[in-house]
Amino acid sequence: MEETNRSLPKTDPLMIQIQDVTKKFGSFTAVDKLSLIIPKGEFFGFLGPNGAGKTTTIKMIVGLFAPTSGGIRVNGWDIVKQPMEAKQSLAYVPDVPFLYEKLTGREFLYFIGGLFKIPKPVLKNRIDELIDHFEIGSWVDRRTEDYSQGMKQRTTIAAALLHTPQSIIIDEPMIGLDPRSAKIVRETLREQSQSGVSILMSTHSLPVAEELCDRIGIINEGKLVFCDTREQLQRDKLRYDGKFESVFLEVTKQ
Amino acid sequence: MFFHLFYYKLISFLKTAVDKRAVSVVRALASFLVFLGFAYSAYTFAFAATRFLLEHTRTGLYLYHTFISMLLFVLFIAVNLGNIIVSYSTLYRSSEVNFLLTKPVSFTTIFALKFFDNFFYSSTTLFVVAFMALYGYGSYFGYPWYLFAGIMLFVLIPFMFLSACLAVLVLMAIMKLAGKIGFRKVMAGLFALYFFFIYLFFDSSNPVTLVEKINRYYPNVDAYFLHTAPGILEYLPNHWVAQCLFYVARGDVVHALPYAGFLLAVTIAAFSILIYVADRYYYRSWLVSLEVQSATRKIYDQAHRHFMDFRSRSIFPSQIEVMIKKEFFSFIREASQWIHLVVMIILTGLFAVSVSNINLNLHVMDVQMLTYLVMFVFGGFMVSSLALRFVFPMIGLEGQTFWALRSSPMNGRKIFLIKFLLGFALILPIAEYIAIASNIPFMSLPALRPLLLWSGVFTAFWMSLTMVAFNLGFGGFFANYLERNPIRAASSQGATLTFLATLLYLIAVVTSILIPVSAYFETLFRFKLLDRNLFLIAGVLIAVLSSFLSFIGFLIGHRSIRRDF
Repeated sequence: MEETNRSLPKTDPLMIQIQDVTKKFGSFTAVDKLSLIIPKGEFFGFLGPNGAGKTTTIKMIVGLFAPTSGGIRVNGWDIVKQPMEAKQSLAYVPDVPFLYEKLTGREFLYFIGGLFKIPKPVLKNRIDELIDHFEIGSWVDRRTEDYSQGMKQRTTIAAALLHTPQSIIIDEPMIGLDPRSAKIVRETLREQSQSGVSILMSTHSLPVAEELCDRIGIINEGKLVFCDTREQLQRDKLRYDGKFESVFLEVTKQ
Repeated sequence: MFFHLFYYKLISFLKTAVDKRAVSVVRALASFLVFLGFAYSAYTFAFAATRFLLEHTRTGLYLYHTFISMLLFVLFIAVNLGNIIVSYSTLYRSSEVNFLLTKPVSFTTIFALKFFDNFFYSSTTLFVVAFMALYGYGSYFGYPWYLFAGIMLFVLIPFMFLSACLAVLVLMAIMKLAGKIGFRKVMAGLFALYFFFIYLFFDSSNPVTLVEKINRYYPNVDAYFLHTAPGILEYLPNHWVAQCLFYVARGDVVHALPYAGFLLAVTIAAFSILIYVADRYYYRSWLVSLEVQSATRKIYDQAHRHFMDFRSRSIFPSQIEVMIKKEFFSFIREASQWIHLVVMIILTGLFAVSVSNINLNLHVMDVQMLTYLVMFVFGGFMVSSLALRFVFPMIGLEGQTFWALRSSPMNGRKIFLIKFLLGFALILPIAEYIAIASNIPFMSLPALRPLLLWSGVFTAFWMSLTMVAFNLGFGGFFANYLERNPIRAASSQGATLTFLATLLYLIAVVTSILIPVSAYFETLFRFKLLDRNLFLIAGVLIAVLSSFLSFIGFLIGHRSIRRDF
């Protein structure tokens, strides 16, 4: 693993760089020599069937899993060797938005802000701003144990944006969101990407991926089996019946 | 239907328990060895204690069983209170119950399933301990194998089962009342009632009075106590068990049978009443629990800011500040946490006040030294229990929200250290309080008194440090992030193993102080010259052992925090 890390090329630091990453659980290989680079400001859609290795890859990028081999750099920092620096520049939104049940949404936001060492006055303004932006003011002072899935999701996304990250790793962001909230989230992510934040978004929703992403990768059985820009995807679709779904089914065929 | 559900629960349990991976096999083997060691220790301790008390200190058979009766009363109350708290989660806040309620399964079946699940989950270790203690106790009297099996099956298990049945009946009564007058009022009333009953029991059968009477009538105490048992005890199950054991020990099984039979009959009656009440009331009380939960929902007032408010400034760096506040609110807003802490603090206070009032007016060295050691062990046991209950679950209770900490720029060492310091800040004052209180009866001898007191204070410090580091570390190692109930986390297999390991540590500490304490009492009673270096050597031994074990706790805890999540 160290050899691989040393051989990582020097590139623009504001990006996510995955090189030859493998993750094994016993004899099962969840991610198999995956390599991927997401440049600054790119919105990357990460797709794949259930159990393909999406969440495992994401958990490795954010430091929740240690890779079995290979290297991952986040904004220039090695996630294994320099985890604090890497995490400081990163935001993560998990697939299931678990929150501390006994805290209110506002307290949770303060908690996350404190972990990222945001000064109190700045944090207060930022929290007020995000509460307005995500329209969560009417219930943010209730305990999160009373929240619906959508409320939790909006709180988690707001928490992720507190420290103005350089990269966002977001796993299934649209689950449980009502149409209005989904629109707010989509627009927020697009704005973030346009302002230079690199985003890796895992999703099962092909239309959302097509709408938002600059580039789309499909992972199957731990291997990246498809990776193209949105423009190229349009051309790929024409080789089938013009539907992204057909491309997806073809490349993930067993 | 009950057996169908039970079958799948059993399969699910076995699939989880029987894991053929090398790591799991090694872990299971290690668990088995620790259990084996503990079982053997429980056996040896019970055997040695019985022999020591009956032969060495000449405690009579009846008096010895009066002590057993008191221990059984404590066990009854512990099982009872534990079951009330755990049953609330398993019967009213379980996702499994939510799932089963949507299926064509009767409420009584769901209730019975969860009741047995709860009882066997939280009492398995108690069964092992009870059996091995019985085995040690019975071996002294040379009982045949069938007597062990008989006492276990028809006396001890029904005794604990009766306690659990009463607990759940009380819980359903609480839910019914809570729907009418509010949960907090009911809980306050219930605790007042419990403490009143505990007071009544110890008022009629007080260990302090007992020790004082022993001192006054020693060595002819048994004959005295045979005729002085207070009438109220006749109605308590612990008395029936103790009487049964007493008659069996005398070889008079015929007189023991009515007590066992009566206990069994009362247990069957209690279980029948429980099922009858559950059949009529469980679902309604489940609906009440929803109302109780929604009644506690509120919007937190943003106008008032207190010093623990997340918005308030703090003297600590931001990461430490938010961690402390998060732990604080997660604790005080979870009823099962603070209520249990209050109960344990009150019980500790009662213990400390009781022992500090013991009047040791008998100048018999063995009794005084034994009293000191028993209080020391009991104090250590309380600290160990507190650490297990409140420190062991600290990492696991992060639950699936641990992603928030693990993906933040806060390193694992800092997370562990903050949790360690919070646990230490909770346990140390209690441990020191117990240490000082249990030394008060021995402070009437001016020349030497500071030595024993300072030794107690010193040992309490190292014991707290070790118990906290060990429980936190192994709590991380055995963490089940899916378990949200702190009481269930503290009674899991990993918690039991940790508890057993801390008890072995406690035995090592007691062994270390045995020689200096013995020398101390010999100086008092036999006027031998005290070699103060004995205390120094024991202190160094305890400090080295505690440092080593704390380091192990730190190491394991730190590694567990860095594990894949």
